[in-house]
Amino acid sequence: MEVSLTAGAIGKIMSGEVTTEADMIPVLQVTELKQLKAYQDPTRERFRMGLSDGTHLHQGMLATDLNDLVKQGTLQFGSIVRLTHFGVHVVQTRRIVIVRELEVIKSNSDIIGRSVPGGKHNDQRVADSGVKLNTTGSEQRGSGVSQVNNIETGRSNAAISPQVDQRPVFGTGSSVPASTTPSTRVDSNPSAGHGVPRLDHARDPPTSYPRQPQPPPPMYANRGPVARNEASPRIIPINALSPYSGRWTIKARVTNKAALKQYSNPRGEGKVFNFDLLDADGGEIRVTCFNAVADQFFDQIVVGNLYLISRGSLRPAQKNFNHLPNDYEIMLDNASTIKQCYEEDAAIPRQQFHFCTIGDIESMENNSIIDVIGIVSSISPTVTITRKNGTATPKRSLQLMDMSGRSVEVTMWGNFCNAEGQMLQNLCDSGGFPVLAVKAGRISEFNGKAVSTIGSSQLFIDPDFVEAHKLKDWFEREGKSVPCISLSREFSGSGRVDVRKTISQIKDEKLGTSEKPDWITVSATIIYMKVENFCYTACPIMNGDRPCSKKVTANGDGTWRCEKCDKSVDECDYRYILQLQIQDHTDLTWVTAFQEAGEEIMGISAKDLYYVKYEHNDEEKFEDIIHKVAFTKYIFKLKVKEETFSDEQRVKATVVKVDKLNYSSDTRTILDAIDKLKTGDGSSLSINIKPEGSHYNADAVNTGTGSSGTRDPSSVQRRDFGLHAHQSGQSGNHYSSGSRPHGGDATTTSCNVCGNSGHVSANCPSSTTEPQGQYMGGSYRGTSGSYGGGIPRQHVGSY
Amino acid sequence: MDTSSPAAFVNGALLRRYIGQKVRAVIQVIRSDIGSVIGKSTDDQQIVVKGSPNPPLTTYIEVIGIAETENTIRAEVWTNFGDSFDVQNYNELCKLANGEFRHLFI
Repeated sequence: MEVSLTAGAIGKIMSGEVTTEADMIPVLQVTELKQLKAYQDPTRERFRMGLSDGTHLHQGMLATDLNDLVKQGTLQFGSIVRLTHFGVHVVQTRRIVIVRELEVIKSNSDIIGRSVPGGKHNDQRVADSGVKLNTTGSEQRGSGVSQVNNIETGRSNAAISPQVDQRPVFGTGSSVPASTTPSTRVDSNPSAGHGVPRLDHARDPPTSYPRQPQPPPPMYANRGPVARNEASPRIIPINALSPYSGRWTIKARVTNKAALKQYSNPRGEGKVFNFDLLDADGGEIRVTCFNAVADQFFDQIVVGNLYLISRGSLRPAQKNFNHLPNDYEIMLDNASTIKQCYEEDAAIPRQQFHFCTIGDIESMENNSIIDVIGIVSSISPTVTITRKNGTATPKRSLQLMDMSGRSVEVTMWGNFCNAEGQMLQNLCDSGGFPVLAVKAGRISEFNGKAVSTIGSSQLFIDPDFVEAHKLKDWFEREGKSVPCISLSREFSGSGRVDVRKTISQIKDEKLGTSEKPDWITVSATIIYMKVENFCYTACPIMNGDRPCSKKVTANGDGTWRCEKCDKSVDECDYRYILQLQIQDHTDLTWVTAFQEAGEEIMGISAKDLYYVKYEHNDEEKFEDIIHKVAFTKYIFKLKVKEETFSDEQRVKATVVKVDKLNYSSDTRTILDAIDKLKTGDGSSLSINIKPEGSHYNADAVNTGTGSSGTRDPSSVQRRDFGLHAHQSGQSGNHYSSGSRPHGGDATTTSCNVCGNSGHVSANCPSSTTEPQGQYMGGSYRGTSGSYGGGIPRQHVGSY
Repeated sequence: MDTSSPAAFVNGALLRRYIGQKVRAVIQVIRSDIGSVIGKSTDDQQIVVKGSPNPPLTTYIEVIGIAETENTIRAEVWTNFGDSFDVQNYNELCKLANGEFRHLFI
């Protein structure tokens, strides 16, 4: 249970606003607990507490009645207490809080926040010593830094400038000369508690704390002179910055530096650059510099270095460009100072991430900025994308997966493609699976959810974070075999990602029926092409860098009119609109191929072909060309979408790209598929029971059965071509569950036992039965239905 | 088509399983002598193919014949497969054809 401290309570106490519980009943945390020897009465103990409200610290004295709480351990260091009865007394300009009654809400708790001792108590009364500012164990947001005991000496530090407060310690190498503090601490010894004023400065060390004066804090030596030159030496956490802060200083590391940009706007020209800072608290803020200031600081700032920055102005952050979790951003001006800290401060991390799991991305809003980390499961080479306005940008995509079992596509633009992209490609090609951390990636809704880099993104390959190591371990153990559901692939990659499907899957998986079109790749053969209307007359007017291509109608006088451009042209373009029937080993379907794909397939431009047929009337040549097209095998990239044609829903497939089949790589793909099939072999999908009456017009098949008992490869071929559409899908586990019985349309053989196609259960390699001779026959015939049902032996005689 | 004695797809390692039987293999020609051709199987083993091929020989050839020893084939049929060939794929094929999916082949 997280109890929150009353913020600002200490501040109010110090300022005098709050003097008793009547004003406020604050909830504070005990960040210090010391036993004092009662001045007056040496036998009685008194406890002195440091009370913190999360940002400020103040001393309080515990009424002796409450001593038992401490002795029993109820009240201890880190306890969260509610002061139900207390008083603030002013003793010699110092305010002491005497606690007469309190409620312990939580005995033991981690220190919340980081407290600065209240700024009023700077009296240099020496007297005491050994004050420890214990802020150990506080959880910093994101940085998990262990605290430093700011050890102060009691006495000698009168030299310190009075105004200096104890600086909050940010890390081990704190830049704060802790020397200032002791005095403050010392002085806040309550004196009014017992009604016996204790003169602070008269207090002797022995009477104060068991822990005696300690040597001056080491950091003092580190930073002393430098710090003193600071105009405002008080370092505050970035998260405490606000436009109303007075003179402030922050100490932080540069996590990102943007380039120096020139701009011109109605007010004139200028240049600007910005950089992001991260401090030990985990606070982040962007700093912007204009014109002269930009010049001044641009060279000074180096990513990864620590700087002390002061005297800038705060203004609200521009959320459009600034994705840091801070409401403000800093603007530096001539009076600002930037000073580099040369010593390392391990407390301030180099980068801070707020990683989300890939599973979270799914539910996040579009265009939100996130950090994500994952294992790169695949990466594709750079492609150049031309935008509508003509500019060409390089783009590279990769799949990132993580422990949530989901994967997402990460797109890199511009420079990232070459730099990090290439590195990742090399790593992946050599078989590795590197960890990639993305900072400030934007979620986009491109084919599901995807993450893109933006100008201020940063990519880290195999970073040295806890999360990265965890991911790597998980991946080694199980991640490799865990099937990752891709957020980006849910709608199938847009063709960049080579989602291989078989044609029957189009129907089985009802591709195209969702809101968005599905993009798939199939390897298939053209078996028929409609000869009529293989092209149309198109508008040649250029629209940007693409021709309009809308259909033009003849005006009768030899000119052609385009509706969209609202113009007439003399010469029209001829563009392909091929209706093709393509088939693979599972199914066949009609697709439409337009100009680009059409040309690839036909091998001749539409215009030429048109001329051949209509102008020259060269039938023979035409036939020739058409014939050449048939039975050629290609890799088709299809866009599948369901469309409504006068009350009827039809799934239409358009050929987006046609590639010649590269047997070598295709074989590899198939080998991969086989491998996956083998490893995924456990789940036996139930089978496509093929009932009677296969509608083969495959006489070929029947003749093929004559060779029952032989493994005749040729009969395998015949099976392919003889099959009709509507085959129930292949049920490889690899694919979707095509286990729908199609009435009367028996075709593929799928094994009952293991769900693979190509054999029946009796022949199933995973079963122990000997493949019988009827294997071939049984599978083809299918007529007497139940070959799926595992009784193939019946068929032996049925040929 | 004569299917009376099917030839098993072999690479170097699998050849020894079929000694005395008909095999087929794709070999990369290293050296060609009178009466024999020294070649490299798809898994980088040296294979000697006895017989006389028809010149010219391309880099990759397929030989079908009887396996005499674990690294010799007496070839009856020689086929040129050209100068570029995906050896890895063929190797995988051999493994699959003799392993899990034997029943599909022989």
